[in-house]
Amino acid sequence: MPKIEVSRQDLFSQACIDDPGDEKLADILSLVKGEIDSSEGDCLKLELNDTNRPDLWCVEGVARAIRCWNAGAQRHLEELPEPDMEIFVDSGLEKVRPYVAAFAACGWAPGQKELDALIDVQEKLAASFGKNRKTAGAGFYRLDDIEFPVRYRAASPETSFIPLGFEKEMTLSEILEETETGRTYAHLLEGKDLWPLLEDIGGNVLSFPPVLNSQTTGRVSAGDSRLFCEVTGTEWETVQLSATILACNLQDRGAEIFPIRINYPEPYPVKTVVTPILFSDLMTASMESIREVLGAPISPESVQKALQRMDYASVEFDRIGITGIMPPYRRDGIHAVDMIEDIVISLGLSSFEPLLPEQFTLGKCAPIEDLADAARILLAGAGCEEILRPVLTSRAKIKDATRTPNNPVSIANPMTAEYGVVRNTLLPGLLEVESTSAHAAYPHRIFETGEVLTVGEDGNCRTEILLACLVCGNKADFGDAHSIIGSLCHSRAIGLSLADADDDRFIPGRCAVITIDGRDSGVIGELHPAVLDNWGISRPASAFEIALSALKG
Amino acid sequence: MTEERDLHPLEEKLLVYLEEHGESSDKEIIERSDLPDEGSFRRAAEWLLSRELVREASRDEEEFVELGPLGIANLEAGVTPELAMLREVAGGAGSLQDIQKNTVFDRGRWGSAFGSLMKTGHLIKDASGIHLSCGPQETVFQKVWDLVYEPLADGGELKMARLPEDVVLIINDRSPKRGKSRAEFTVNVVVTRVLDITEKGSVALRAAKESVTIGAITPEILADGSWRHAKFRRYQLDIPPSQIHTGRLHPYRQFLDTVRKRFMALGFTEMRGSLAENEFWNNDALFMPQFHPARDIHDVYFLSDGIKVPPPERELEERVAEVHENGGNTGGRGWGYSFSREQSLQTILRSQGTALSARTLASNPDIPGKYFGIARCFRYDQVDSTHLPDFFQVEGIVLGEQINLRHLLGLLKLFAEEIAGASDYKFLPGYFPFTEPSVEMHIFHPVLGWVEGGGAGLFRPEVCLPLGIDVPVIAWGLGLDRMAMLAMGIEDIRDLITPDLTKLRGIRVQPDRLLTGKEDENA
Repeated sequence: MPKIEVSRQDLFSQACIDDPGDEKLADILSLVKGEIDSSEGDCLKLELNDTNRPDLWCVEGVARAIRCWNAGAQRHLEELPEPDMEIFVDSGLEKVRPYVAAFAACGWAPGQKELDALIDVQEKLAASFGKNRKTAGAGFYRLDDIEFPVRYRAASPETSFIPLGFEKEMTLSEILEETETGRTYAHLLEGKDLWPLLEDIGGNVLSFPPVLNSQTTGRVSAGDSRLFCEVTGTEWETVQLSATILACNLQDRGAEIFPIRINYPEPYPVKTVVTPILFSDLMTASMESIREVLGAPISPESVQKALQRMDYASVEFDRIGITGIMPPYRRDGIHAVDMIEDIVISLGLSSFEPLLPEQFTLGKCAPIEDLADAARILLAGAGCEEILRPVLTSRAKIKDATRTPNNPVSIANPMTAEYGVVRNTLLPGLLEVESTSAHAAYPHRIFETGEVLTVGEDGNCRTEILLACLVCGNKADFGDAHSIIGSLCHSRAIGLSLADADDDRFIPGRCAVITIDGRDSGVIGELHPAVLDNWGISRPASAFEIALSALKG
Repeated sequence: MTEERDLHPLEEKLLVYLEEHGESSDKEIIERSDLPDEGSFRRAAEWLLSRELVREASRDEEEFVELGPLGIANLEAGVTPELAMLREVAGGAGSLQDIQKNTVFDRGRWGSAFGSLMKTGHLIKDASGIHLSCGPQETVFQKVWDLVYEPLADGGELKMARLPEDVVLIINDRSPKRGKSRAEFTVNVVVTRVLDITEKGSVALRAAKESVTIGAITPEILADGSWRHAKFRRYQLDIPPSQIHTGRLHPYRQFLDTVRKRFMALGFTEMRGSLAENEFWNNDALFMPQFHPARDIHDVYFLSDGIKVPPPERELEERVAEVHENGGNTGGRGWGYSFSREQSLQTILRSQGTALSARTLASNPDIPGKYFGIARCFRYDQVDSTHLPDFFQVEGIVLGEQINLRHLLGLLKLFAEEIAGASDYKFLPGYFPFTEPSVEMHIFHPVLGWVEGGGAGLFRPEVCLPLGIDVPVIAWGLGLDRMAMLAMGIEDIRDLITPDLTKLRGIRVQPDRLLTGKEDENA
């Protein structure tokens, strides 16, 4: 979940409300699916839960939602002037970093704090939404230092300019090798022969996206009231949406937005695009479908008002239903239900009276769980203590320490070897209990019923429920485990028989395959001293493990 | 009025001895009476004293001194630090630093010897250094050596009463009750008590001798009917019972059992699933785009090559792929990317219980229907006091023609009240990729305040339609580990699955108390 840090004072002044206090604010934040993470003095940390709403990952976005809910829609980025600035994209970037969006913002001069906040939003967008600048990354410049048109071209690694924060010219490859930012993002350009470069008609380099701006044109200071903003990246939609969000933020701050025409070469599917783009996603829902989801009568006028408070650019209704146009900074509306949720949020969940489903349904236990319950109760009655162990464990515990014949399924990307496999047997878990419980009063009779993962010959894996039981104490022997499985089978009127078996886990001659009603169902034996030794267990032990389903009878 | 308790056999033995021998010390009784051991004697004596059948005729306390660990070290050195220091000064040493050059004792012991000699006035310090106020031979420390160390050279103890007063003062000062391992002396108190039978005791003994009382009832007593003419000895009933380790179900499993029972009582059918899933069922069928961050290699465990889960039917898979790519027949526009079949079939460990719901929806469920399942899920986290390698989630769906948002809220209200036992809760808009609208419930816990009580929503049409469901479906899910910790009173999540039997035996079992600790009214 994205977390952001905002200034209280900034948030409430932009939201046009008085500071409501944290408790009230928590309620208000439900508008943006947000929560207060921490609140200290002027500094508020917010957690935003909607991963599809990058527009909300900044103070401007949260403030905008509150402001519009109180004052109605604000029609962002409508009626922009005709573009009189242009960017030309050269061929050669299609496979490198194909897309660019840009605009100018004039008339708002950020102070140092506001400028820091602006840079912060740009970084946050590039980091989370833009996948660490891969799919999209943005940059700000002083507009007046740039001579239009600007070229977005594929440049040789030997091209050089003075990068931001440095004094001497460096080649692009030197930047990747010698600067910290360069090393951080070098992997984005790995394997490419030519790298992206923005430069103006006068040959001045603006930046080497997505790595570093130039020291001469790419530096913005507090008080600069004429800004140029560009976003480049590998995903069309991410690039466009990032630019649109930044433009809306600057417009909210008081800047006038001037669009820029982007000219693409062959073989791009589009020739020219004016950015920032207004996606203006249009959604239609019938009043009936809205009422069906809401479970409440609601008038078209109320729906219209609710959506206007969510900053919908336009909301109309006719006989067919409601047609809404989402605000330009959002692209998360992919189905009418998304608009319906906005209606719900706008009206507030507390305005809906909870109702119980009226239709009758039967409550039923899963049959295998019924069986597990029966076995567990019998075992507890036999004086056994139930154990619960994790499903993830290590190969060393299953194979090396316990000498289990079958191999467990491995995890391809384990976090640690300690949890590197999925268990295929419960016995190692019980042995681990013994190895850590020498100080607990004996004798120990312990058991677990639990899921394991096994693999069939066709490579398909199966989740199975096993039942394992272990007795450990000074006098524990084969008979202890045998009498427990014996009484279990007796209680369930199941025929039990044993057939000698060889199994490294157990002492030869004291190990058997358990046959229940004629089917091989598990194994029983006295644990081999070598196994006990591996686990550091200093008392004899016997155990059995069966497929739970065998107890069905 | 309660009847006077009969004499316990041990009590009777003690009274018999005192009746015969008159006033006797504890030691005599322990050595000569029929009482089996010292413990039995002490218990019988306590009981009888409290019932005034026996009285304390006299009580003497005598103190004995023996050498403590430091004393023994001094003995081995052949001198105490104080005496050694006095001799050093007599021999011309003028400062503590000079004396500390002698390594018979460490600097600390020299330091404390210096302190006590200053305190007793045996040493005087002035501008020219330190001096003796009298000869070493005349000091109390020489007396201590002669009267205590010498006689105890071969071990044993000395009666304190026979020692001169100034020596006793030194001993008392250096025999702390605590920190005996650093003590120079140990003082032991020996109590000599003399007991005698009282008038009341003689009466009780006579009464006991005249009647037959039965202690343990034996099959013989039952068979021969001798109990008909006998008295039953009255037992003392409020003594602590001896402990037994019962077989018992695991506290967390009992908690899960309670959750299961409550859902079944509300008309839910239990679902079961698989630990391993392909991404299709875990994510794709739930309309989570293949580029969703929660599907990243750092969030999900992938199983090693060659391990498979059977693929979904081809037609179903195509419907789901289409919905991802362009919305299919759902009326939406989809995520707008190219769906990868290869990714869809990758085998992973189930990361969310919702996979169970997806499979249930695809297998012709009852309509109307209510389903729940408790599923072990896996997420890529470092194991610590708040994260386990796998965790339990309860998950479920409710389907029906008339289902809507208000039913969703009603169901959550029911969970809060009936499953969690909460008296206060609130609903907040939430976000889940597979539901719209989405709701999060927060529950008020009396100690912790607001805690998460689960997420829910109406499944998106992009989830339901490809799976063949054309009625609204409520879906909800809740992690149970944290709720169990609250109910079980544990603070480290790893204790839920502890391999330590002692710890496990110490975890309370109160499955009828769920999240808020409210007791089941029917319990």
